Amino acid sequence: MTIRLFATLKDRAGRSEIEIDLPAGATVADLRTRIGEAFPHLAALAARSVVAVNREFAFAQDLVHPEDEIALFPPVSGG
Amino acid sequence: MATTFPTLLDITRAPIDLNALQAAVTTSYDGAVVLFTGVVRGRTGSDVTDQLEYEAYFEMAVLKLQQIADEMRARFDGIHGIALVQRVGPMAVSEPTVAVAVSAGHRGDGAFEAACYGIDRLKQIVPVWKKETRPDGSSWIEGDYTPAAQDRSPRGAA
Repeated sequence: MTIRLFATLKDRAGRSEIEIDLPAGATVADLRTRIGEAFPHLAALAARSVVAVNREFAFAQDLVHPEDEIALFPPVSGG
Repeated sequence: MATTFPTLLDITRAPIDLNALQAAVTTSYDGAVVLFTGVVRGRTGSDVTDQLEYEAYFEMAVLKLQQIADEMRARFDGIHGIALVQRVGPMAVSEPTVAVAVSAGHRGDGAFEAACYGIDRLKQIVPVWKKETRPDGSSWIEGDYTPAAQDRSPRGAA
């Protein structure tokens, strides 16, 4: 599953996307945990980042599916 | 039949044309247009900012702008046209980075309040980030708002 990264997360990762494996039935909470395991240098940032699934905010208990568009980003600072 | 008023939503790399924005929201029903512009602040007390560079999650950002326009119309039923424009890319001190325009029949019909709501909401839920360049280096600025379930669009996910 591909995770799109933005701002601080993209810079820290050195790329705009990362790949992780998640089992069927995984939640957003599982996704955060897995990112931290697979990319330890992103773990601290990922823990306080926002997750979006299919271009909408997602929360710990929400399910993620292989075909979903997943994004991970810091609290927004536009304007 | 109800009149449909203009809604202009954009995430753009181009400089924001404030006159074009005002024209885009103005209809023959309007006697007032409120225009808010955010610009790059070069001095914050003794701190110096040389430039800001903005990045967006474009596909989600345009959906969130639509959600904000929907919320503005639901809360301020006297307003007419709405424009919400966020510029991305590098911007120099004093350049407009964002603009909100709201038109209404009269200035007391909620245009000021709606514009204020619009920029406040944009800063909460639109996925855009700015990187600040100072004389001693550059760093991303992170916001302080954590989205909650009520920040999801009632229109549903894309």
